[in-house]
Amino acid sequence: MIRRAALLLAGLLALGLPTLAGSIDISNLFNSIKQAFTPATLEQEEAIGNAAAATLLGATKPIHDKAVQDYVNKVGLWVALQSDRPDLPWRFAVVDSDDIDAFAAPGGYVFITRGLLQHMHSEAELAGVLGHEITHVVLKHHLNALQRAARLDLAGQAAQVGMASKGYNSTLDQQAFQKISNATRNLYSKGLDKDDEFDADRAGVVLAARAGYDPYGLLAVLQTLEGVDPKSGRVQLLLATHPSPEDRIAALSAAMAAGHMDKYGNQEEGTERFEAAIKSLPPMKADSPATKAAPVAATQP
Amino acid sequence: MRRALVIGVLLLATLGVVQADSGGTAQTVVAGDMHDGPYSDANPVGSVPVNTNVTILTRQGGWYKVRLPTGQTGWLPMTDLRLGNPGSGGSNQPKSSGSHGFFSLFESGRSGASGTTATTGVRGLNTGDIANAKPDPAAVTELDQWMAKPDAARAFAEQLKLKAEKIDYLPKVKP
Repeated sequence: MIRRAALLLAGLLALGLPTLAGSIDISNLFNSIKQAFTPATLEQEEAIGNAAAATLLGATKPIHDKAVQDYVNKVGLWVALQSDRPDLPWRFAVVDSDDIDAFAAPGGYVFITRGLLQHMHSEAELAGVLGHEITHVVLKHHLNALQRAARLDLAGQAAQVGMASKGYNSTLDQQAFQKISNATRNLYSKGLDKDDEFDADRAGVVLAARAGYDPYGLLAVLQTLEGVDPKSGRVQLLLATHPSPEDRIAALSAAMAAGHMDKYGNQEEGTERFEAAIKSLPPMKADSPATKAAPVAATQP
Repeated sequence: MRRALVIGVLLLATLGVVQADSGGTAQTVVAGDMHDGPYSDANPVGSVPVNTNVTILTRQGGWYKVRLPTGQTGWLPMTDLRLGNPGSGGSNQPKSSGSHGFFSLFESGRSGASGTTATTGVRGLNTGDIANAKPDPAAVTELDQWMAKPDAARAFAEQLKLKAEKIDYLPKVKP
């Protein structure tokens, strides 16, 4: 009886061992997935944002115009103060590209291209665009996407990720920094989920309106984007990473009508202050007829 | 032949500059009533058919003040219009002048769909630039010098008499 029980046990063990080994793999996988969704602490978010911002600023540099940078930081912070995360260390910057785009990175980084700024007509338009980017930060759209993509084990790598914010020269945090940087290159050249963009449009309008601006500024910018010739290359990155301006205009105007935003249509546009603030920017390089005509002539059959 | 084309295109571009100085252009995407003010309860001053080319004069809230080809002016809802010139998206679209002109549209010196830069001084930013970016941690440190303090941002808002308001987030609705 005992012998039979021992044989049975041995048989069960023999059958069970491989199953056990398999279940270890599965549970490891499960753990790594679970850890990827561990909410980041504020310090970790700042470190991830720092690595993402460093990567983005590797592609395009801040302009050296203190008056313009101060202006965008004041407008941006005033809009961010109306958000659900007013206390983040918000940093705004105009980056030196003629192309039209804007980016946010975790922890409170917001970048807008000089080209986009020069396509705007008022502070209300700027507030709407910054409100869109601020919303990406507030709702942690990039943070969650980067965490998933980099498969960051925030519990295990907390020290490394925390140290990345103090500079990535230390060999200890180099690996975490590289992971985030690689994920940034991929995410920002492919774009977020479309729903994140539609959500950021709706909330961006509300943040601008809460800040006292005419809420139709973002819609006006989207209409301007719609009118930019895609063949110019100016909107290549923006169109590759966002839903079409047409779809965004349709979704946003429907939501604004449902939310009765027309009540706030008389709020401040800030056209004069905006025009004065960006006056110091150099004229867009391609504005002379010769530079415009040349590429067109080159494409004639 | 090629030179003639270049001259022709130059002429077109020049015409575009002149045209744009009088305001941005747009087309109606639906037929609708033009109003005498930027409100839905303002008096209708005539109906405008779809695909009418209009000149945009200004915007207030969700409305554009426009001039019709007949010379008549009035207000249309923003979403009744598509900005840009007729045939917008074509490569021979007339271009506007000035970097800060109201409702002006801009062109870069890029050659066609390839996105390659045709003029020195045009700083592009495409998916490839992001995909191949080399991190620049020093540029991030530089940002601190421009950070605003909350009190400074509030004082700046006060200059324009901007007042913070409580407004609910917008519902998601099907267009």
